[in-house]
Amino acid sequence: MTGLGTALRAETLAWRRSAVQRIATPLLVLLVPVAAVGLVALARSGAVVGAGAAKLAPYATGDAATTQLVAAGQVLSVAALLATGFAAAAAFAQPLADGRAGAYFGLATPRSTVALARCLVLLGWAAACAAGAVLLAVAASAVPSAGLGAEAWAAGGRALVAGLLAAGLALPFGAVATATRSPLATVGALIGVVAVTQMVVLVGGGAWFPYAVPSLWTGMGGPAAASAVGPVGLLLAAAAVPVGLAVVAWQWRRLTDV
Amino acid sequence: MTVLALHDLRHRFGDRTALAGLSVAVGPGEVVALVGLNGAGKTTALRVMTGRLRPAGGTARVLGADPATLGPTAARRFGHVVGAALVSPDLTVTENVRTAALLHGVPRADVATAGSAVVQRLDLEPWAHARARTLSAGNAQRLGVACAVVHGPSALVLDEPTSALDPRGVVLVRELVRSLADAGAGVLVSSHHLDEVARVADRVVVVHGGRDVGELAPGPEMERRFFARVLEADTDVPAPGGVA
Repeated sequence: MTGLGTALRAETLAWRRSAVQRIATPLLVLLVPVAAVGLVALARSGAVVGAGAAKLAPYATGDAATTQLVAAGQVLSVAALLATGFAAAAAFAQPLADGRAGAYFGLATPRSTVALARCLVLLGWAAACAAGAVLLAVAASAVPSAGLGAEAWAAGGRALVAGLLAAGLALPFGAVATATRSPLATVGALIGVVAVTQMVVLVGGGAWFPYAVPSLWTGMGGPAAASAVGPVGLLLAAAAVPVGLAVVAWQWRRLTDV
Repeated sequence: MTVLALHDLRHRFGDRTALAGLSVAVGPGEVVALVGLNGAGKTTALRVMTGRLRPAGGTARVLGADPATLGPTAARRFGHVVGAALVSPDLTVTENVRTAALLHGVPRADVATAGSAVVQRLDLEPWAHARARTLSAGNAQRLGVACAVVHGPSALVLDEPTSALDPRGVVLVRELVRSLADAGAGVLVSSHHLDEVARVADRVVVVHGGRDVGELAPGPEMERRFFARVLEADTDVPAPGGVA
């Protein structure tokens, strides 16, 4: 790929400096462990009663460290999708909306390579954030428990993989952003997909629906729904990365009327 | 050899004709200015010239290649600012010119030198570490030009490059364009400032209704001759191509 190293260098700098990254990084890295610890503490405090208590029931029993890391995975599986989706909307639609994308024509580094590098930088950033969030959640769980058991480590590992899968599932929104040329429309599509995912899960198709897989796999739909997610479902979710990369690069290669 | 060429360009946006057979050619060492009223088709032509718009008819060539699919070899010798420049608002002036140099194919070892030279050339040193989003419109425009020429292009396209500049900035950009042309580059520039194009251009092409309606010899009374040419085109009196 012509100039991928150059494009990665340029895109990494641009993303490091961007306001979206500066806001999203602390939110993603800190919100996940804080929410996980908070959910478990709230469930075990007895302060919530009625329908709220029923919702929090899965977090009220069992090993606290393991439960916190399960909760971290569940929060991360949604937060990583939303954060990376917002990032894709900003990174791909905004330059098309304000005309900056036109400057990427006629460069020695082809615009499709720049777009590919932008996807890879977003993916790397999301992966680093997911790793940071899980690491903090592990630390927050390990310190009061004086160490973690095998089950807790497994929950932490699953949280990380779910976060990576969710971040990868956001890459196709780079294609949506390129097609719509509108950050707002891209965010609308992202919210729409989240809503559709809820409906698919309600009718029992979640184990096969890529956008439902990370959440269900971390136990958000209960143990039965988690065990229904098999390797095929996980692979389908992971396929969003190569598909997203290929479509975005193709779109930017064919881009016109900018 | 022609550095930049548009031949018989035709394009419509819905019911509106934007280009109706426009042809322009720029040779090495030549500065050609497109002048015309708002909506005449200048910017649309320059978007085609930079590959950003595929025309319904006609051809565009940059250093002999189709700008929409320009290969790295030709692209290394091409620079342009049409609308928004290759500038990220979150990066500093220095970071922007260095990033532009990298993307334009300047070898990594030469990027810092090339960046410093163009920052100095366009008198942007006081803002070298300022983020682009904090610059005034004039300084931002100079930064855009800097990012387009940091690699020393031999084909350059500039759309209204002095529209936001103060008199000193106008002189800086004019001298830059002239020096690039003197070094052998072909430059296609659009402008509304007839006095300015009279100073910098070797040839001035009048664009009206999406086509070239003749040339103006750079010199005195440009404004009067420009309006006369536009009026002639509207009344379809002379055939296009003559020099007024």
